Amino acid sequence: MRMTITNKLLLGFGGVLLLLAAVAAVGIYSVIRLRHSAQETTRIGDRLNSISVEIQVHNLEAQRKAKSYFLEKGKLGEENARATYLDEATFEVHEIESLASKAVQLAPTAEIKAKFERINTTLAKYEQALNTAVEASQHNAKGAQAQAAQASYEEAAESLHEIAEDGEIAGHDVAQTFQEEIDRTSKRSMTLAVGFSIAGLVLALAASFVLARAILVPVHHLREVAENVSMGNLDIAVKRHSNDEIGDLAESFTRMVTAVKFFRMETELAQAEAAGAGGGTR
Amino acid sequence: MSVYTDVCTTARPFLGPATDKFLERQCKYLKVEPAALTKEHLTQLAWLSKNAASAIMDAAQAEKLAQKIGAM
Repeated sequence: MRMTITNKLLLGFGGVLLLLAAVAAVGIYSVIRLRHSAQETTRIGDRLNSISVEIQVHNLEAQRKAKSYFLEKGKLGEENARATYLDEATFEVHEIESLASKAVQLAPTAEIKAKFERINTTLAKYEQALNTAVEASQHNAKGAQAQAAQASYEEAAESLHEIAEDGEIAGHDVAQTFQEEIDRTSKRSMTLAVGFSIAGLVLALAASFVLARAILVPVHHLREVAENVSMGNLDIAVKRHSNDEIGDLAESFTRMVTAVKFFRMETELAQAEAAGAGGGTR
Repeated sequence: MSVYTDVCTTARPFLGPATDKFLERQCKYLKVEPAALTKEHLTQLAWLSKNAASAIMDAAQAEKLAQKIGAM
């Protein structure tokens, strides 16, 4: 391709346009990524956090109901206490189980998934300890076996409480992780956008400098040549600086100067011949 | 097209509006009418053109003009 002024200008502006398009693409990509990260944070982080809080609430409620069962069963009778408190506690346990399973499905990493899976494992132990304590209290209300079962149940309840707290922290961690992802994406996008903008600016400056030189240097030279020719100096050399429109102009100018030189020589020759002929007739 | 017209076409990018007058003068030195110019005259015409053109253009251009005429 011949590097004419038109092509040089097209290449220069095309390059700048490409860079502008790159900056716009980085901007669009950043907005999409940030929106996605923000949505993920809202959806997963907040959901996990609220599930963890719900688990804690149900856990406390289950423990309160179980404690009430043990305290009130003497007063209300086994059947009534079971219907009023124990069945409710069992319902709370099932709620925790269902919430923990939902959390496992939502958890974005294996580590967080494991934390919520531990709730289910601990819950099974809690349920077993509760049943053992209930059975022991039925058979031997104040015996050592009942006390041991009660202690075991309280230990399981404490353990479940701790594990549920871990789940709450994990939910918070997920929200935090996504927040950090948003920060990282926005910083990376900012760096990319600034980088592309600076590169665009440098390229635009370099392209402007090269184009200005490509146009101005031969134009200055042609102006100097035209100035000399107009003052009668035809011996000045016309240089062709580039293979573009200005180069073509320099070539035309060279042709014109050559023709002027020739016609001037012709005139001088004709004058000399005329003078010679005039001298001969005298 | 006559040989002279062809030579004019070849020399015009070098000499512009002076082409006809320049070549007429070289033909005069060759002692041949422009219309009577033949391919046999071209070697001599190239040599004459080179010498004459050296006075009005740079040597490289004059050499190039001579080569073009000689190669016709």
